[in-house]
Amino acid sequence: MSNGNGGNPVVRWVKESAAWRSLFRQPYPSTSRTRALAVMNNVFLHLHPVRVKRHAVRYTYTFCLGGISFFLFLVLTVTGLYLMFFYVPSISRAYQDIQAIEASVAFGSLVRNMHRWAAHLMVLTVFLHMIRVFYHGAYKPPREFNWVVGVLLLFFTLALSFTGYLLPWDQIAFWAITVGTQMATYAPLLSNESAFFMLGGIEVGQGTLLRFYVAHVIFFPLIAAIFMIVHFWRIRKDGGISGPV
Amino acid sequence: MTIEKRPNATADKNVPTQAPERAPIIAPGVGPKLPGPPGVPGTERFRLLAYVKQESMVRVDKRPDETVLTWPHLLRAEFLMAMLITALLVVTSVFITAPLEEMANPSVTPHVAKAPWYFLGLQELLSYFNPTVAGVLIIPVYLGGLLIIPYVDRTPYKAVRDRKMIWIFFLCIMVGGLIVTFIGSFFRGPGWNWVWPWDGLYFNL
Amino acid sequence: MTQQHASYGAVHGPPTGEITRRSFMRRVLGVGVGLLSLEFLGGTLAFLWPNLTEGLGSQITLGSADDINNQAPEWQNGLPFVYNQANLFFVNVPAAKARVAENSGGQVTSDVSLPVPDPGADVDPDIAPEDRSVMALWRKCPHLGCQVPQLCDRSEWFECLCHGSKYTVIGEKRDGPAPRGMDRFEVLVENGVYIVDTRQVISGPPPTVMTFDKRTASDITEHCVG
Ligand code: HEM
Ligand code: FES
Repeated sequence: MSNGNGGNPVVRWVKESAAWRSLFRQPYPSTSRTRALAVMNNVFLHLHPVRVKRHAVRYTYTFCLGGISFFLFLVLTVTGLYLMFFYVPSISRAYQDIQAIEASVAFGSLVRNMHRWAAHLMVLTVFLHMIRVFYHGAYKPPREFNWVVGVLLLFFTLALSFTGYLLPWDQIAFWAITVGTQMATYAPLLSNESAFFMLGGIEVGQGTLLRFYVAHVIFFPLIAAIFMIVHFWRIRKDGGISGPV
Repeated sequence: MTIEKRPNATADKNVPTQAPERAPIIAPGVGPKLPGPPGVPGTERFRLLAYVKQESMVRVDKRPDETVLTWPHLLRAEFLMAMLITALLVVTSVFITAPLEEMANPSVTPHVAKAPWYFLGLQELLSYFNPTVAGVLIIPVYLGGLLIIPYVDRTPYKAVRDRKMIWIFFLCIMVGGLIVTFIGSFFRGPGWNWVWPWDGLYFNL
Repeated sequence: MTQQHASYGAVHGPPTGEITRRSFMRRVLGVGVGLLSLEFLGGTLAFLWPNLTEGLGSQITLGSADDINNQAPEWQNGLPFVYNQANLFFVNVPAAKARVAENSGGQVTSDVSLPVPDPGADVDPDIAPEDRSVMALWRKCPHLGCQVPQLCDRSEWFECLCHGSKYTVIGEKRDGPAPRGMDRFEVLVENGVYIVDTRQVISGPPPTVMTFDKRTASDITEHCVG
């Protein structure tokens, strides 16, 4: 069983082929050296350092809340992409499209439900993650700026959730967005003009649906992803996860 | 010339690092002279061995930590968590259907018009104060307050008793936010009047 | 100015108080990029600015007083005309005032007698709003945006269902959490035809303004909401 090739000649043939070896430059990571290399040489895994502090992998230190938030973001990206195939952001079609997704698309209801519940859950986990970070005093130098990035991520998470809330174009959506955007006009600097801009018109309507759709499927996901990259990068540059209180 | 210990290498974690004073980049006159290329006078080379003191580019509060390999320890934890969340999400989504009411109709105001749940605390607060006052204050205090936490609390201490003020501030906005969000979500009905949850739940996810 | 450098010894810099060519160029570049970003931002805002040509956000022709009376016979008796396409109440002000006076049990007075089939064309912006002959009140509640329902026949006020804000028939706020009176639009008259200009929303008056119907919420025994 050396190198996990087994005795199977087909497996051995595949693993010794030039194509396989161009893809994986080392055998299955089973020694400290190959495990280190695996993390270092893989573009996705090298988000992590090769070694991490022992307390950082305890579930009860981070409760994985940041990680769960990120994972939910990925789930939302995938399920959202699926939904986009069956959804047209038009006030005469959107509602029927959602009904069709629920009724006649294979697994459509499941995908819609997953997207919806993951979105709510993500708002929750991001909040809890912030509380966990505060509890550990992990905003202290050198991590001040990453806290700021985090607050921005909180804002983008809310913005993503809020813009998505309108898209089913049902009564819940319509009135929640009407009330929500009206509340925004009470904030300083955000006057009637900004509501006009946000809504793409004077009241929630076709202009709003299109605007919210574009913001929901492209603008905010992109911005949030960029800031997540910065967030993760800073975690490493700030010396990995903070120490216990 | 003395070589310092790594800053913080053994120091108590609560003592802030002292920036090492700037030292000459090159200590003059160190090391023996070596001959240069043959026949070219005046090109003797020096071999220098110098301790270069430099603040690290990476601001790390390194202490001798106990570490484990990312593969498998961290990756295993992450994988299990991802599976757990996926399973939870799929099971939830199979059994609980996301709400969908009648099609939007601008001329039919529902009995209760509520914002999404994470804004219900704000909506609740807006029903107490004159909205221009409340709205003007709440949003900046909340977001701005969160933003400046690390710049207000400058001490290196992390224990609860060593940063009471900031804990009080944080608890106030968190617990306060939680309470008003709860009230707005579960205790408000038509006309934004108080309704006990068992008399009618006006809450949409 | 001369600086003492750790390894190079004395280094000559620019005279104190003057800027070098390098730092000048750097600043010019910085300012240039800053300006460019501002222009980009401004251009983006302008590009994304809503461009409305029909419905709410444009000029809407309601028709003449006769047209309205045909559609809503109670308009001449003071009941505001509900114009759904633009989400507004078109108020026949003299008739509405008379109606409120008639139904208020003597608490409100008016010397107009009903009906008023054609209130006329006093829509000049220089005239105080409450003295104009017609008003276009936007049905979006200035509190949190619910649609304000038709006049409550018990109080003769507009009473918002959502959080109980209450407004008089000319849109002044009397009760509830709203920050101001009902928002409205300018009305124009061309050859007797009313045109509502919804391109610009005019904010309602502050809650302290009381020109007509000075009853408070407790003066009225029965409300529709709250
Ligand atoms: C989209 C939202 C967010 C994502 C995906 C995210 C992700 C993460 C992840 C994966 C970590 C590693 C540690 C852990 O899992 O707890 C982390 C750490 C951190 N996060 Fe976030 N985060 C988000 C929002 C926030 C917010 C709202 C804040 C604070 C306002 C914040 C501040 C921090 C800080 C300061 C650290 C370093 C913590 C330490 O060293 O212990 N993040 N984040
Ligand atoms: S929206 Fe009308 S009172 Fe709140």
